[in-house]
Amino acid sequence: MQIICVSRGTYEGGKELAEALAKRLGIPCLAREEATDAATRAGIHVGKLEMAVVRRHPLSEYLAVEREKFQAFITATLCERAREEGLVYHGRTGHLVLPGVSPVFRIRVIADTEARIAQTMDRLGLSREKARLFNEQVDEDIRRWVRVLYNVDGESPDLYDVVVNLSHVSVENAASALVAMAQLPEFQVTPASRRALEDLHLAARCRLAIGGDRRTRGMQVRVRADRGRVSVTWLPRDRKAAPAVPSILEEIEGVREVVCTMATTNLLWIEEDVDPDSETLPQILEIAEKWNAAVEILRLEDGEGEAEAAPAGASGEPGIPDTEAEGGILDDGVEVERLPEDAGVRETMGRLVSAGRAGGYRAVRGGAREILQSLDRTSSYSLVVVGRVFSSKGVSTAKRLSRELAGSLADALRVPVIGSDELRSQYLFGPGHWLKLALHGALAALLLFLVFTYQAPILEFLARGGTRHRILAAAALFLFVPLFAHLYGSFARYLFRLMKIE
Amino acid sequence: MPDFLLAGHFTHIDLLMAVEVALLGFIGGTLSGFIGSGGAFFMTPGMMNLGVPGAVAVASNISHKFGKAMIGSKKHGEMGHVDKKLAVIVLITAALGINLAVWVMKSLFTRGREGGGGEASTALSDLYISLVFVGVLSLVSLSMLADIIKSRKQEEARPSRRIVDFLNRFRLHPMIHFPVADVSVSLWVLLVCGLATGYLAGTIGVGGFIGVPAMIYVFGVSAQVAAGTELFLAMFMGAYGLLNYAFQGMVDVRLVVLLYLGSLVGIHLGAYGTKVVRELIIRLVTSCIILLCVLSRLIAIPVYLRRLGVVRLRPSADGYFNSASKVLLYASGLVGAAIILFFVFRAYLERRRVHASLAAGAEPAA
Repeated sequence: MQIICVSRGTYEGGKELAEALAKRLGIPCLAREEATDAATRAGIHVGKLEMAVVRRHPLSEYLAVEREKFQAFITATLCERAREEGLVYHGRTGHLVLPGVSPVFRIRVIADTEARIAQTMDRLGLSREKARLFNEQVDEDIRRWVRVLYNVDGESPDLYDVVVNLSHVSVENAASALVAMAQLPEFQVTPASRRALEDLHLAARCRLAIGGDRRTRGMQVRVRADRGRVSVTWLPRDRKAAPAVPSILEEIEGVREVVCTMATTNLLWIEEDVDPDSETLPQILEIAEKWNAAVEILRLEDGEGEAEAAPAGASGEPGIPDTEAEGGILDDGVEVERLPEDAGVRETMGRLVSAGRAGGYRAVRGGAREILQSLDRTSSYSLVVVGRVFSSKGVSTAKRLSRELAGSLADALRVPVIGSDELRSQYLFGPGHWLKLALHGALAALLLFLVFTYQAPILEFLARGGTRHRILAAAALFLFVPLFAHLYGSFARYLFRLMKIE
Repeated sequence: MPDFLLAGHFTHIDLLMAVEVALLGFIGGTLSGFIGSGGAFFMTPGMMNLGVPGAVAVASNISHKFGKAMIGSKKHGEMGHVDKKLAVIVLITAALGINLAVWVMKSLFTRGREGGGGEASTALSDLYISLVFVGVLSLVSLSMLADIIKSRKQEEARPSRRIVDFLNRFRLHPMIHFPVADVSVSLWVLLVCGLATGYLAGTIGVGGFIGVPAMIYVFGVSAQVAAGTELFLAMFMGAYGLLNYAFQGMVDVRLVVLLYLGSLVGIHLGAYGTKVVRELIIRLVTSCIILLCVLSRLIAIPVYLRRLGVVRLRPSADGYFNSASKVLLYASGLVGAAIILFFVFRAYLERRRVHASLAAGAEPAA
């Protein structure tokens, strides 16, 4: 079984290459247009979604739901087709549809600008300038589409295993080379990746079922599946429809357990050994409670992947996941057997479920790149907590790698990423915060008192004539106003933190 | 009290007025956190209703905006929601807009005082502020209401496309790419939007009403980056406005601190409300509150016209107009804040109920 995703633009030859690859490998080929037509027939308003993207409109709640349904439809379609006999998919975002399934062979097809202009002129009968503008506009639309659907930069080479310029190599020769590459062990489906595929498929089917039911069709939800355990996170505004979700999902084949969590945002907790008795869990739960967030646990497998990442990159094989660089299939088999036995994860998940804060679980081997590949980038994370990771590397190396991991995640996700040891000082109300609360409150009160006690001379000072004096008055206000805002704002912030209203 | 206070430049603030200003700040802050704009549309006319001259109300409000935006933009900056390149370019013309607004305001203020002083001294600038306020915010609220009515038929809450579609036809070069916001926008469109934002921020203190929609609907920036960038921009515009107005001697520092007392508390509650209320309801509540604020200001206009001698009214009628305007403004703010707080506490109670049922094992799956 082989899964190949060809990312293509306009007149770049991606379609021809995908078809040639499918023919040589003897597996089906699916075009984005076919999948989109099927989604439209299934009642998803893909046209409206595309128009909103092309016209640069922010997605309304209704279109955000349509986006989720469309993503789920494409994922389900790819999973269904791929699991039978493999698949070559070609379109704009195929390489992003199956996050965390590392053996997917992701190919980007490009062509020289001049060649594309010539193709556009030839096929559409446009002048050179119009053809150039047409290509630019289509590229921009595709870029926006990728951003809206998957919140990533579609042009980033990190997303692909190989980039092929069809202006420099013929379709047939490129197909020959890629067929050889596709035979590499890194691109073979392993038991672990098969399971990841099944999880994605189940989550997508569940999402479609929620979108297809009259009672819940307007709900904006986030669905994750892990070996039949389905986690659904829903927004407080959907409280009326939410009770129907478990009954809808229980009828779906493969669903063993449904956990529904009402949350407005998500916390991602990355840990190597998830320990329910650690200090981190109650702290994260307290923050999740305050923020009305769901907690997603990501267990970062033993740090071998990170150590392997540098040699893999240095040897000129960027994009090859570290998991498979280690030898893949056998290790994956071990992983599949080992994960369900992790009592720490089970108990931690149990506690999160009891608290109504469960946001799903996943295991990833490697580092920041592998984590980012596995994440749904359209999910709204408010905080990423990095616990104890890379522990096998020694204290100093683990610290450095943790710091680098936090930096990479912060850059990519644009949310605060902190260590678990910083939770109390940054987000919880500790003993030190009493002092800060009192200090900021007292200073703000003092300034307020002074302003009103000496209001007459102060106002006279502010209104007195003379250029030099006016400059002085403006400078004084320029310093005073932000100072008071900072003192009183900090006081209010600590007060709300104390009252657990954030 | 010194002479310049009695001359009408600054207002005497007693305990009741102090509480009222802080309450204005609280309601403005709650609305601001909920709607995402600065809340000036409520606070500026509210202070004017309390007898604060329009120019001083605007100056104090823009100074208050400076500190508030500084705190907010810091938080957005940590989240990566600030496109500094975009903000800097818009700021260039926004500064011109503020200068223009301050110059117009100062001219009207001076002209009013030269024209005989007394109650006519501030009437001209008050009338000007009120007219701009009514014109701009009527347009905003009515177009929002029209969109809501239209979108209800289409089962979706979505802003109007007409302006965007019209502007998108023009791809005036040079186009500038903004990596954080991930958009390319014509320099000319940026400059025009910046000028309008700065002018309105300087005139009525509601630059965000132009800045945020412009970034979302004209530039194509995501809502989060638009809000973060606007706050970053507001910080500089607020600082610039503060320096300008402070140089003219128009900032009343007492009003600024009183506004902070309420707004920095209310903003937390309002922001929480956005997480638990549907987009359609947010837009509906917002447009209704703005519309009522506009009506409130509209009712106050005859007073300024009488003071300028444009219409003939008994001076004793001022009290009725002012009272009606004040009642309507407070009613809109209080009702708006009450609705928001209702949703906040309902969501809080609902959360407790769900958790209680989970703990009791009554709903094992939900």
